Amino acid sequence: MAVTDISHRRRFLAQGNVYLPHIAVIEKIIEETAGVRTFHFNFKDEKLREEFTFESGQFGEYSVFGVGEAPFCISSSPTRHDYLEFVVQRVGKVTNALHRLGVGAEIGFRGPYGNSFPLDRLQRQNLVFVGGGIGLAPLRSLIWNVIDNRDKYQNIDIIYGARSPADLCFWYDLDAWDKDKTINMITTVDRGDESWTGRVGLVPQILEQVAPSAQDTVAIVCGPPIMIRFTFPVLIKLGFTPEQMLTTLEKRMKCGIGKCGRCNIGNLYVCRDGPVFTYAQIKNFISSEY
Amino acid sequence: MFVPSKENGVVMLAKWDGKDTSFLDWYRNTVIPPKAHFLPPMEEMFHFQKDKQGYQLEQPASDGQKQLIFGIHPCDANALAILDMTFKDAYEDPYYLSRRRNTLLIGLTCTNPSESCFCTSLGSSPSDSSNVDIMLSSIGDEFLIEGVTEAGKKLIAPTGGLEEATGADDARAKEVKEASYHKVTRTIDTEDIDKKLLSCFEDEGYWEKVAAKCISCGICTLLCPTCYCFDISDELVKQQGTRFRSWDSCAFPIYTQMPMENPRIEKWRRLRQKVCHKYEFYPINFGVIACTGCGRCIRLCPVNWDITQTIESVPAKT
Repeated sequence: MAVTDISHRRRFLAQGNVYLPHIAVIEKIIEETAGVRTFHFNFKDEKLREEFTFESGQFGEYSVFGVGEAPFCISSSPTRHDYLEFVVQRVGKVTNALHRLGVGAEIGFRGPYGNSFPLDRLQRQNLVFVGGGIGLAPLRSLIWNVIDNRDKYQNIDIIYGARSPADLCFWYDLDAWDKDKTINMITTVDRGDESWTGRVGLVPQILEQVAPSAQDTVAIVCGPPIMIRFTFPVLIKLGFTPEQMLTTLEKRMKCGIGKCGRCNIGNLYVCRDGPVFTYAQIKNFISSEY
Repeated sequence: MFVPSKENGVVMLAKWDGKDTSFLDWYRNTVIPPKAHFLPPMEEMFHFQKDKQGYQLEQPASDGQKQLIFGIHPCDANALAILDMTFKDAYEDPYYLSRRRNTLLIGLTCTNPSESCFCTSLGSSPSDSSNVDIMLSSIGDEFLIEGVTEAGKKLIAPTGGLEEATGADDARAKEVKEASYHKVTRTIDTEDIDKKLLSCFEDEGYWEKVAAKCISCGICTLLCPTCYCFDISDELVKQQGTRFRSWDSCAFPIYTQMPMENPRIEKWRRLRQKVCHKYEFYPINFGVIACTGCGRCIRLCPVNWDITQTIESVPAKT
């Protein structure tokens, strides 16, 4: 497969009015679960396709013109760039409108915005990915990024869970990671069904059972807020320091660039200072603001 | 040129008719803060429509006209300097900044501050000229005019009918400024307020008490000269689309509402956000308190909520 690695391109900064979206075209739609779809898209402008780059962890503001804009992470890896990907759960006005779009439809994209996963800090470390439901989307960008530079990292554990087998997103990735002998892939569901033979249990509980060593390790956590809240105490119990715990957060956003005001956790704006944070950065506020 | 004006009984800045100067007699401060001139309550960001080639976006034409605001008080001019920090931060906001760059501010010493004013507690004063281009102070039948910025001085130079100020004029201006300063009687202690607020962030009891009478109407934020939160929405009429932005407020639950979560459902969390944003988060991020003591939130609150009482009653914890 011919894949373009754009992770070494110079940092991309849009020129002119930052609020004007780029026009992009949906190229493929994958039905992840009932209500969750992955969209592959590319920019209409050829020059932009050649210049654009992003880092794992960054997000964009996506427009359905006439309906509105909403933020989603870029779920593909910059090391595999024939198209960009984002994942949408159908829950509100914009996400419902996105689910009504078909291949060939035009959307707007502003970005990439926000910080990214600190690759320099992660290299030569063991990595423990802890994901829940659609929260695997930003982790997935990093996981593929790490796999494409596998020799720079040590052991990799992926603990991923969803409410039921039917709610597991990215089954094609889960298969690939399960087959990868350099990765310890653990999939769990809150409740199994008659055909489920894998683990059953909540992600924080399974994490506690797997008990990865905190030595030279960084844990990267993303999932629904309730999963994130219960995962941090488990990591602390396992000996992780607040600096060894990373997460990427989601909040209601409008501008995506630190101006419209609403996505803050304490003095930090998820869009401008995040979405990737260490637990040390947010621990003063997370219990009552997230 | 825009001057204080009563529009339907509400004092705001409006285009000057070139004649009426009566506002100099009745004007104390505008109800709608001058921020509305730079960040309008609602503005078009761009238009979009779909043709055979797909979506076409078009920005509204900017007239780029130079403007003057006459009679802005120091509290409101300082507020613009505070807003600049956010709108220049990381990514420039083209709408706000193009208006800022095309506008000169002619300040006016505030000789009649309200009981609710407390600018002197925030490092300012009724005659503070640090964020205007030209400063005017009324000294009896005349104005003392001071050019503050280069642009301001340039504007004064060719203006006819001005006389060089005498020593007596300066002395009278000094008196007026000092008298104005002492008319601001309300004070708060802002020393280490960011640290105090951080230490009581989790003090739910305190915030519940502070927010008890708040009705979440949002007026204290919408009419605050340093509040800048906005919403972005689309409108589609007969295939002609407009994306616009409008003022928003942290007082409203929907402001942070996500499909399945809302971190600020309770009103005390929202009021805490408002107070901490101004007195804790802005100082951490930009080194200044995002409040200029203009007193609007006290004067205009329908239930007499008072930010100075809140700041003064923050529990001291170590």
